[in-house]
Amino acid sequence: MANSSAASQPTHPEYEPYRLSKTLTGHSRAVSCVKFSNDGTLLASASLDKSLIIWSSASLSLLHRLIGHSEGINDLAWSESHYICSASDDYTLRIWSARPPFDCLKTLKGHTDVVFCVNFNPQSNLIVSGSFDETIRIWEVKTGRCLNVIRAHSMPVTSVHFNRDGSLIVSGSHDGSCKIWETKNGALLKTLIDDKMPAVSFAKFSPNGKFILVATLNNTLKLWNYSTGKFLKIYTGHQNTTYCIMATFSVTNGKYIVSGSEDHSVCIWDLQGKNMIQKLEGHKDTVVSVTCHPNENKIASAGLDNDRTVRVWVQEG
Amino acid sequence: MNAPIIDPLQGDFPEMIEEYLEHGIMKCIAFNRRGTLLAAGCADGTCIIWDFETRGIAKELRDKNCNAAITSVCWSKYGHRVLVSTSDKSLMIWDVLSGEKVAHTTVGPTVLQARLHPGSTTPSLCLACPFSSAPMVIDVVEGTTKILPVLVSELNNGVALNSRSKIPEGSTTYSLSTACFNKFGDLVYTGNSKGEILIIDHRKVQVQAVVSVSPGPIIRNIVFSRDGQYLLTNTSDRMLRIYENLLPMKDAHKVLDELHRTIDEQDEVEKLKTAGTKCLSLVHEFQDSINRIQWKAPCFSGDGEWIISGSASRGEHKIYIWDRAGHLVKILEGPKEALIDLAWHPVHPLIVSVSVTGLVYIWAKDYTENLSAFAPDFKELEENEEYVEREDEFDLMPETEKVKESDVNEDDPIDILRVEDDSAFSDSDMSQDELCFLPAVPCPEAPEQQEKCVGSCSKVPDSNQSESPLSVEAGQNGHAANNASSPPEAMVNSTAGETEGTRLKRKRKPSEKGLELQAEKTKKPSIPTKPSGRLSRSRKYAADPESSNGVNGDYASDD
Repeated sequence: MANSSAASQPTHPEYEPYRLSKTLTGHSRAVSCVKFSNDGTLLASASLDKSLIIWSSASLSLLHRLIGHSEGINDLAWSESHYICSASDDYTLRIWSARPPFDCLKTLKGHTDVVFCVNFNPQSNLIVSGSFDETIRIWEVKTGRCLNVIRAHSMPVTSVHFNRDGSLIVSGSHDGSCKIWETKNGALLKTLIDDKMPAVSFAKFSPNGKFILVATLNNTLKLWNYSTGKFLKIYTGHQNTTYCIMATFSVTNGKYIVSGSEDHSVCIWDLQGKNMIQKLEGHKDTVVSVTCHPNENKIASAGLDNDRTVRVWVQEG
Repeated sequence: MNAPIIDPLQGDFPEMIEEYLEHGIMKCIAFNRRGTLLAAGCADGTCIIWDFETRGIAKELRDKNCNAAITSVCWSKYGHRVLVSTSDKSLMIWDVLSGEKVAHTTVGPTVLQARLHPGSTTPSLCLACPFSSAPMVIDVVEGTTKILPVLVSELNNGVALNSRSKIPEGSTTYSLSTACFNKFGDLVYTGNSKGEILIIDHRKVQVQAVVSVSPGPIIRNIVFSRDGQYLLTNTSDRMLRIYENLLPMKDAHKVLDELHRTIDEQDEVEKLKTAGTKCLSLVHEFQDSINRIQWKAPCFSGDGEWIISGSASRGEHKIYIWDRAGHLVKILEGPKEALIDLAWHPVHPLIVSVSVTGLVYIWAKDYTENLSAFAPDFKELEENEEYVEREDEFDLMPETEKVKESDVNEDDPIDILRVEDDSAFSDSDMSQDELCFLPAVPCPEAPEQQEKCVGSCSKVPDSNQSESPLSVEAGQNGHAANNASSPPEAMVNSTAGETEGTRLKRKRKPSEKGLELQAEKTKKPSIPTKPSGRLSRSRKYAADPESSNGVNGDYASDD
């Protein structure tokens, strides 16, 4: 996008502000994660009330509640087709079908502590999970078998994500490091950050797999080029010192970085210009998770215990 | 993708067995175009599609009525179809995604090697090389067969070839003649028992050129590299020869037609030979001059830089690796089982070999830790460098640290969406929809069936036994168990802590696997869902729980 790369402009002339479209209630405790499915038709939310809810993206009506975990859920991930994997405080992960009859198809056991983060690979035949037991596990979707256990960090693993072709995994941890692993054999390929402070609360590959967005608990988001090992952009202005808040890329209408914040807002930055473009207010507690619709200009966000809602924001017009 | 951070200094060929796949007795293998799926033909007529990433079974293609062993498998170009030839004279084309048979035809003689036409998404033309008969081009859907000429001398005799003739009178019997398509499938290159490579336009069934291999040995294998630039022949004089393909990739048959018009030669055979010199030029020939080994299943690496071949000597599983200049770079040695098929992964430095026991071994590079990966500012040095301190190195507040963060031009626009084309697949026509992965459907779990096979897993691996008898037995057992309702280890039901120690690293060798099995003995429940094809101990136990047949899994070769 040639016109958006003029970095010196403080605000985009063409930028359409997002506004609240709907507030979804349905969880009785903090909502820990919210994600749109890969085709955009469904929205899933996970909560500390031990359940997941599947909503229709279009009508924003509740379609189904998935019950089965014995403790709260920390993270969820969508497969390429219609499976959801959830990571829970009950030390397990579960694979669910997001189509009737909404069964729990598999329970993946093996972690020895709270499972905190989960993701599918793009081919959706592998699942990667990170846990408070300081390991990363790679599971085979078809049989539920654990293929590999990587002793990744020295403190809880806060975030795991596959790159575009599934050959690499990036992981972030409370021990302050962000590491890149080879999926095939669990080999450590690169350490991106290795300072003891601040903790890395979130890490994610860009859509083309060349950059990594890393959030650290010093109110900072950085965009790293992982092959050179240098970060290229810093995004600040939000609050993030306690919770592992998820951030994401918004690419449907210009390139933005979207993140939740502990000041109860959703923050949107211009990717190139690094300036904060909009702050979406409305939640009554920390916004811990945000997700962007793959095709439409829609953002969904989730709030913690004092809020317990999922809010959907759309652009005007 | 991950290319920038993988160390380019490591040699690009495998060094040791990483793991093995087991499911029945596999006879022949083929990778799909991108190496994400591996098709394996079994002795019981099943064609198994392995998901190479997870090393688990993605699909089984089986016709209940056909139980004959499969002699060769071949993928269509974009991975939608698989051609299978069996020992009961059938050729079958399967649709991989649906698992349905698309076409089935019977040919006269048993086909040893069948190749699908590489040109289209849903090819029905295939090249079949039968045992002791001329290669044929068969349209599996229509059922038509064209027999290709094998000997140049036939042309002078004007022998008429029709679809039912076996051996035309007056010509000598020929044993294995072999053939392959060129990269786009417009020409067929065949090798005969007189040491001649014939280049045939299969549409016209006309020999367009001939290249002679002196001194005229039987040509056993003829293979193109993936990019179609090089041709490899394996001959009975124990030599491997590499030819460079001088014809253009596309429309080579038109170039040959042109050549025919322009060559001024009266004698037909001479004309073909002259044309042949314009098609292939011998680059190198090599052999093992010490042991004078006969070769088996030679092929190129994915990028055409390396050539591998198995040794055809019985009782040894040796793979020789040469570079294209003919220098031997490595000999890989496996367990003492004869090698029957070999394939190099199209993209990664991985080799897959099939042994006579039906196991498929995966060879990979040894994983060496890259120490520079452990800290962000570690850098690998080629040689020692003298460290020169900065002026302010020992100052309490060094100047340079303060400005460290902004040494990058922050105004450069960042592109988070654009993806570079994968140069390894230069001819990938993106309009074609390629089948790279089969969707992984989680097998539904049955209500917990706990601890059925616990005791039997623990039989101590008998390290004194050599591998082959164990393996053969295992293969047969596996075969039998396959038909019964066999449970896989569908779920890792581990107790806390146990998994950490044992499954810490991906299995590197069978011996480690044996140790792991012992440690894991209390873990596996048997759940009756589709067989996973993984190491088979739990499968066997369901079929025969009392037999305590612990030998199968424990290939602990104490080394």
